[in-house]
Amino acid sequence: MTISNMKKGSRAIVTSFDGLDEAFVARLMDVGLYECSEVTLLNIIAMGKLFLLEVDEVELCIRKDDASRIVVKQL
Amino acid sequence: MIFLLAGNPNTGKSTFFNMMTKSHVHVGNYSGVTVEKRVHHIKHLSHAELVDLPGTYNVVPSSEDEGIVTYSLLNEAYQGIVNIVDSTHLKRNLHLTIQLLELCSPTLLVLNLTDALRRNGYVIDLDKLKNLLGVDVVAISARNHDEKEELMVANKIRDIQLHKSLKLDYPQPIMWGINQIRNLLRYDNVRVKKKWLALQILEGNEAVFQYVKPHKEKEIKKVVQEVEQQIVKEGIALSLKGAIFNTRREFIQRVVDAVMIRVENKQHTKYFNQKIDRILTHQMWGIPIFLLIMLTIYQISFGSFLGLGSMLSDWFDLFWTDYLLEWTAQFLNRIGISGFAAGLIVDGILAGVGGVLVFLPQIVVLFFLLALLEGTGYMARVAIVMDRFLSRFGFNGKSIIPIITGFGCTVPAIMATRTIPDRKERILTILTLPFVSCSARLPIYGIFVSLFFEQYRAWFIMAIYLLGVFVMLFSAKLFSLSYFKGAGTTFVLEVPPYRMPQLRTISYQALEKAKRFVKKAGTFILVGSVILWLLSNVGPNGIEANSTDSFLSIISGWIAPIFAPLGFGEWQATSSLISGILAKEVVVSSLIVLYGSKAAIAIAFTTSSALAYVVFASLYIPCISTIATVRSETGSWKWTMFSVIYPFTVAYLVTLLIRMIIQLF
Repeated sequence: MTISNMKKGSRAIVTSFDGLDEAFVARLMDVGLYECSEVTLLNIIAMGKLFLLEVDEVELCIRKDDASRIVVKQL
Repeated sequence: MIFLLAGNPNTGKSTFFNMMTKSHVHVGNYSGVTVEKRVHHIKHLSHAELVDLPGTYNVVPSSEDEGIVTYSLLNEAYQGIVNIVDSTHLKRNLHLTIQLLELCSPTLLVLNLTDALRRNGYVIDLDKLKNLLGVDVVAISARNHDEKEELMVANKIRDIQLHKSLKLDYPQPIMWGINQIRNLLRYDNVRVKKKWLALQILEGNEAVFQYVKPHKEKEIKKVVQEVEQQIVKEGIALSLKGAIFNTRREFIQRVVDAVMIRVENKQHTKYFNQKIDRILTHQMWGIPIFLLIMLTIYQISFGSFLGLGSMLSDWFDLFWTDYLLEWTAQFLNRIGISGFAAGLIVDGILAGVGGVLVFLPQIVVLFFLLALLEGTGYMARVAIVMDRFLSRFGFNGKSIIPIITGFGCTVPAIMATRTIPDRKERILTILTLPFVSCSARLPIYGIFVSLFFEQYRAWFIMAIYLLGVFVMLFSAKLFSLSYFKGAGTTFVLEVPPYRMPQLRTISYQALEKAKRFVKKAGTFILVGSVILWLLSNVGPNGIEANSTDSFLSIISGWIAPIFAPLGFGEWQATSSLISGILAKEVVVSSLIVLYGSKAAIAIAFTTSSALAYVVFASLYIPCISTIATVRSETGSWKWTMFSVIYPFTVAYLVTLLIRMIIQLF
């Protein structure tokens, strides 16, 4: 499963990235989102296009396309 | 003595810099405000300077902006590093700290926002942190601006000391790689520890290759590859970078667990406030709310209703034209100066400069309000709201920051694009930014509005601004469909907490803009006015009483016919546009100098030619400073030429189109 099919308010552990380019993964790493990170899906906004996540008390937004390429394991 | 100030974006780094040094830098509540390196003297410490580096999460650069950090660490002659850390986001901030400590330079760790952390119910055990990291630590809250705190930090900076180097237990293949690379670097002359450099190379820091140019680059890259393969084969992590990251994260987790002390049981409040943000980032109302806020700001700055800015400008205008000009003319007459020289001073210099200065109050009010908005953290919400919209045009939501900056001045806006990691996307943004109407163009709208469109003031100005934005979006779409295919594909946006903007910093920012504007009026516009007045009063036969025989009239007369189809083919109007390339404010001072007075402008233009002129002037060739910035930021003459020709063509076509539409009615 990926972040894009998480339920609002649920938590998960990132396991891998599926087809995201390296620069983008580096960007995610900067804000603390990487393999083994614990992610909480806070909200889905902008008509389902943006995913508001929390990682280590950092809140961040990513697009749906990117969210669907981050593979997670539900907690 | 030089100290480098490093830290993550949005940690209060600029606030801290302002607090510790004798002057201010621009402070906003979003990532990437500091786009240039700034150096200022440290208060309470003689012969010490602080270098404000751009905010970065990592020494490994992911945008050009962040490359400056690697460059400075490698090449700058510094005595120590001051690392500012947001204590409410210790886990993320410490990644940079670890990299700096591995460097093994004298370092001071400054924990900022400790008041906010306390409100969340936590305090940090400083002694424990000091022990675990082996570095001196000081806790502050820069926003409170406490004199005692300043002194304490200054003393700590003075006593900055070499700490014992931080050694993390990286997985075995990485340790092997570090040794191999260190060996290969032995012929290279660098100022930093080679072990650190080796680790940076393994992490993928390309900037190291660029600045160090190692002799054995090929061999080094081969080692990196080998380590990468080994990491993946042994299943240590998904990538080499990831393995390093995870080792650091585990270490940080242990540190944070040890030093965070819970003093009060409090629920962590989310930054994305469910109540306010549900409204502000609402899928339907988000954009209208943003536009409404912008309209209110324009109304207060330029409008007649709530028009603080216009009121102040009107007073200034009254004083300048009715009193200062009169008095000066009388005074000059009394001391025996009249004719040509008096004309130069009164009609050339004073009228020209005054015609631009009159807009100063409106600009100050506008920037005060924009800075207020920036300081709250609302701009990050605007980025969220605008992302879906902007992504259709090859931008992303983050481009909103250069765009908003562009309303002030295109030059810093272009510099702000350094935070865009993708080069294609960055150049696309740079090329389209000049269409965003900068404050220097305001006087042009202002003068024509007061002469022709008085009853629609704020609406007219807002429409011109929207036209600029529309042309920008349209151009971006055009570019992203052709040469810049695939731009605008990435978006990671951090949501900052709402913060109370600080009056001190905001008024400072507004005044800074005012200073720059006045400085320009005193230099560019003054010189421009003088040259223009001379050219328009001197001709092939010496001093001309009739300006139609002047040099300027003759030169512009050749070019003017180009603009005849647009409705303003007079040589005065054309000359003003040409001189406006110096600086856009010069268009207004030139018009006043060449036509002689505002009333004469009112006679020379019709409502429709005035509209055409304003539209053309808002879109045509950017000013000299902008062109120079495009050149230095893109590093390409091709794009620089393009940034001159494209806007001219677009301005011409759009104006022609508007003119044709008007003629239909």
